[in-house]
Amino acid sequence: MSSESPPPVGRRTITLAVIAGSCAIGAATAIPAAAFVAAPVSGKAGKGVWVKTLKLEQLTDGQPKRVAIVDDRRDAWTIEKNVELGSVWLVKKGNEVVAYSAVCPHLGCSVNVTADGAFACPCHTSAFDAKGKRTAGPSPRDLDALATRIEDGMVAVEFKRFRIGVPEKVET
Amino acid sequence: MSLLSRLGDFLDERTGYRKLVEHALDEPIKGGARWAYVFGSALLGAFLTQLVTGIALMTSYAPSDKTAWASVHYITFKQAGGWLVRGMHHFGAQMMVIVLVFHMAQVALFGAYKRPREVTWWIGLGLLSIVLAFALTGYLLPWDQKGYWATRVATNIAGTVPLVGDATQRLMQGGPEYGSLTLTRFYALHVGVLPLSLLGLAAAHVALFRKHGVTPSVKADVSKVDAFFPKQLWKDVVAVMIFVGVVFALAWKEHGAPLDAPADPSSDYPARPEWYFLALFQLLKYFHGPLEIVGTVVLPGVLGLYLFALPLLDKKESNAVRGRALVLIPLALIGIGAVALTAQAKTQDANDAAFQKERAKADMRSGLAISIAMDGVPPEGPLAMMRSFPTIRGPELFEKHCAACHTLGSIGTEKDRTAPKLDGWGTEKWVLDMIHDPDGAERFGRTSYKGEMPSVDVAPAGKTDFKPMSEDDKKAVAAFLASQSDEPGDKIPDGALRKDAARVASGKTIVSTRCTSCHLFEGKGDDIDQGLAPELSGWASTKWVRAQIDNPSSKATYREKALDKDREGHMPRFDAEMKPEDRDLLARWVRATARAPK
Repeated sequence: MSSESPPPVGRRTITLAVIAGSCAIGAATAIPAAAFVAAPVSGKAGKGVWVKTLKLEQLTDGQPKRVAIVDDRRDAWTIEKNVELGSVWLVKKGNEVVAYSAVCPHLGCSVNVTADGAFACPCHTSAFDAKGKRTAGPSPRDLDALATRIEDGMVAVEFKRFRIGVPEKVET
Repeated sequence: MSLLSRLGDFLDERTGYRKLVEHALDEPIKGGARWAYVFGSALLGAFLTQLVTGIALMTSYAPSDKTAWASVHYITFKQAGGWLVRGMHHFGAQMMVIVLVFHMAQVALFGAYKRPREVTWWIGLGLLSIVLAFALTGYLLPWDQKGYWATRVATNIAGTVPLVGDATQRLMQGGPEYGSLTLTRFYALHVGVLPLSLLGLAAAHVALFRKHGVTPSVKADVSKVDAFFPKQLWKDVVAVMIFVGVVFALAWKEHGAPLDAPADPSSDYPARPEWYFLALFQLLKYFHGPLEIVGTVVLPGVLGLYLFALPLLDKKESNAVRGRALVLIPLALIGIGAVALTAQAKTQDANDAAFQKERAKADMRSGLAISIAMDGVPPEGPLAMMRSFPTIRGPELFEKHCAACHTLGSIGTEKDRTAPKLDGWGTEKWVLDMIHDPDGAERFGRTSYKGEMPSVDVAPAGKTDFKPMSEDDKKAVAAFLASQSDEPGDKIPDGALRKDAARVASGKTIVSTRCTSCHLFEGKGDDIDQGLAPELSGWASTKWVRAQIDNPSSKATYREKALDKDREGHMPRFDAEMKPEDRDLLARWVRATARAPK
C-alpha cells in the first residue's frame, strides 16, 4: 500500500470478513467439542485376556455349560476388581474343551443352549448346532470360538469380543 | 380503567405483545376449524408434558452404571409421587409416538406435504426422527436389563452399516464396548441435544405452517374462513387435555412405569424393544446371513427416502385421495406392514415356550431386585447388591465351588456326587440316619470316610457283645446335635425332638462323654490328634460350615488327617480360592438351605 488514502472498504468485503470471523469463532468452540465427543472412536481394540473359569471335572461331555468370565474391568474412570465381564459357553469332549462366546454374532444378544445341546438366540431366532455352526436364522456367521487351555485342572479361556453383524470374525 | 388493563397497557407500550397475541389468535383457518387439525397442537402439548416430567425426573436421576438403576428405583418406589411422574413420562412418550402417526396420516391424506409445503414436511420428518431418538435413548436410561439389551441391539444395528458403521457405533457407545460412557452419552442426547433440536425444528415447523396456513380438506367450503381463536384453539385445547388425561390415566392404572432387574452384561436376557419398534425388530428375523443388512439398514433407509421424496413424487394439483392413490399406496402398505409385523412378533413370542420361560425368569429376577433394593442400594451399585444377596449369590457359589462333589437342592448331579448329599444335613432326621447307617450312599457311602464310623445300633460283623444304643438315647443325640446349628430367629418345627430341653441336655451328656472316644467335643477328645472324627460342638452351624470351607483340617471341624494323602478325595480347603465374604455368605446359605423344610 502507498501513502494514498486506502480505497473505501466495500460491503462485500465486510460481509466476507463477518462471515469468516463468525466461522473462526464457531470453529474455535466446535472443533475442540467435536474432537472431545469423537475421542472414543479411535479407542484401541480390547486385547484378549486369559481367564480361569472352572475345574475341568465340573463339565460333562457334550453338555454345554455357561460360565461367567470374571476379571478386572476398566470402564472409563472406574476400575473394578473381579467382576463379571460377560459369559462363554464351554463344551467338553474328552479332555478337550471348546469355548464359544455367548454373544450372538447377529446383533449381540446372549445365546442360550437348547434341550439337545445346540445353541439358539432368544432375540431374532438365530440357531447354531453343538459345534457353533449356524443352522438357521439371520446370524451372518457361526458362533465365535475362543481359545482354551487347561491350567492346574482349571479351564482357562481367552476372552475376546468381536464385531457384531458382519460376516467376518473381527476383534473389536 | 381497571388495574389489569392498565398493567396490560404498560406492558404493551414496552413490548408490543398485543399485536403478537392478535396475530397468533387471528390466524385464518381456510375452510373452517376442524378436528383433523388438532394433532400438531397435541404433539406440542405432549412435548411440554415430557419437558415438565423430564426435568422433574432429572432432579433425582443420576446417570452412571452404578447409580442409574438405583436412582430410578428410588424415584419409582421411594420418592413421593415419583411413580406418577415417571409413569407419565413413560406413557407420554408412547402416546406421543401414536399421535405422531395420526399427525402424519392426516397430513398425507390431506396432501398437506405438497408444494409449497415441502420444507414443512421435511422438517416434520426431522422431528419424527428426533422423537424416535428420544424413545431409543430414554429406554436405556434406567440401565435395567430391558433397556440395556434392547439398546445394545440398536447400537449393534448401527454397527452393521457399511463403512461408517463401526465408527458410528463407537461414537454412540463412547468406545468399543458398552459401559459408563454409553450411558452418559445417551443421557446428554436425551436431555440436551434432542430437546434443543426438537425446540428449534418445531419452531421452524410451526412458523412455516403459519406462513402457508392449513391445507383444507377437499370437501371443505374454502369460502368459509374461521379465525384460529376461538374455534380451532378450543378444539386444540380439548385434544391436549385428552392427551394428558390418557397419559395420566395410564400412569395411574399401571402405577408408574415398569423397572426390570439391573443391567447385567454377563446374563442372558430375551431382549425386546418397545412395542413401536417391534415391526423393525421382526423385520430383522427375515434377512439371513449376508442379507442381514437389508433388514437393518436397507429397508428402513428406503422407507425414509420414500417419505422424503413424497412431495416430489406427488405433484398433482388436486388433493383428492383418489387421484393420488399411486403415491399413497406405499404409505398404506407401510402402515399395514408395520401392523402385520408387530402382530407377528407378538404371536411368535406368545407361542414360544422358551421365550416365555426366559421372560418368567427375568420377571422373577426383577421382582427380587426391586425388593432387595427397598433397603437401599450400596455405592458399588445394584449388580453388586444382587451378587451379595444370599439367595442369589449362594447358589452361584455352591454351583461353582461345591457342586462338583456335593449336591444340594437342584444343584449338582447325583451321578457325579462323591461327597454327602447336603439336603437335610444338620436336621434331627439326618443325625438319626447317620448314627444308624453312616455309610449310606447319601452320607459317607461315596467318600473316603466310608467304613470309619460305626453304627450305634447295628453290630459290626463278628462282634458278639455289641449293645445297641437305646431309642431314647438316639433321639437325645439327634436333638442335641440338631440344636447345635439353631440360630436366633429360627423356627423350630412343632414336634421337633429338641423342643424338649431335658432331652437336649441328656443328648449333650451322651455326645460329650460317649462320642468323644472318636470325636472332638469343644476341642477335647480321647484320641487327641490321632483320630479322624470331627468336632461336634456347634456342628452344622454357620460357624462350623465356615470353618470347614476355610480349612477342613483345622480341628474346628475335621482334623489334621483330613487332608492326608490317604484321604484323597476329601474336601479341599477354600481359604485361598474364595474371598472371605463369599465364604461367609456360602456358609450361611448352605446351613439355611440344607435344613430348610422341603
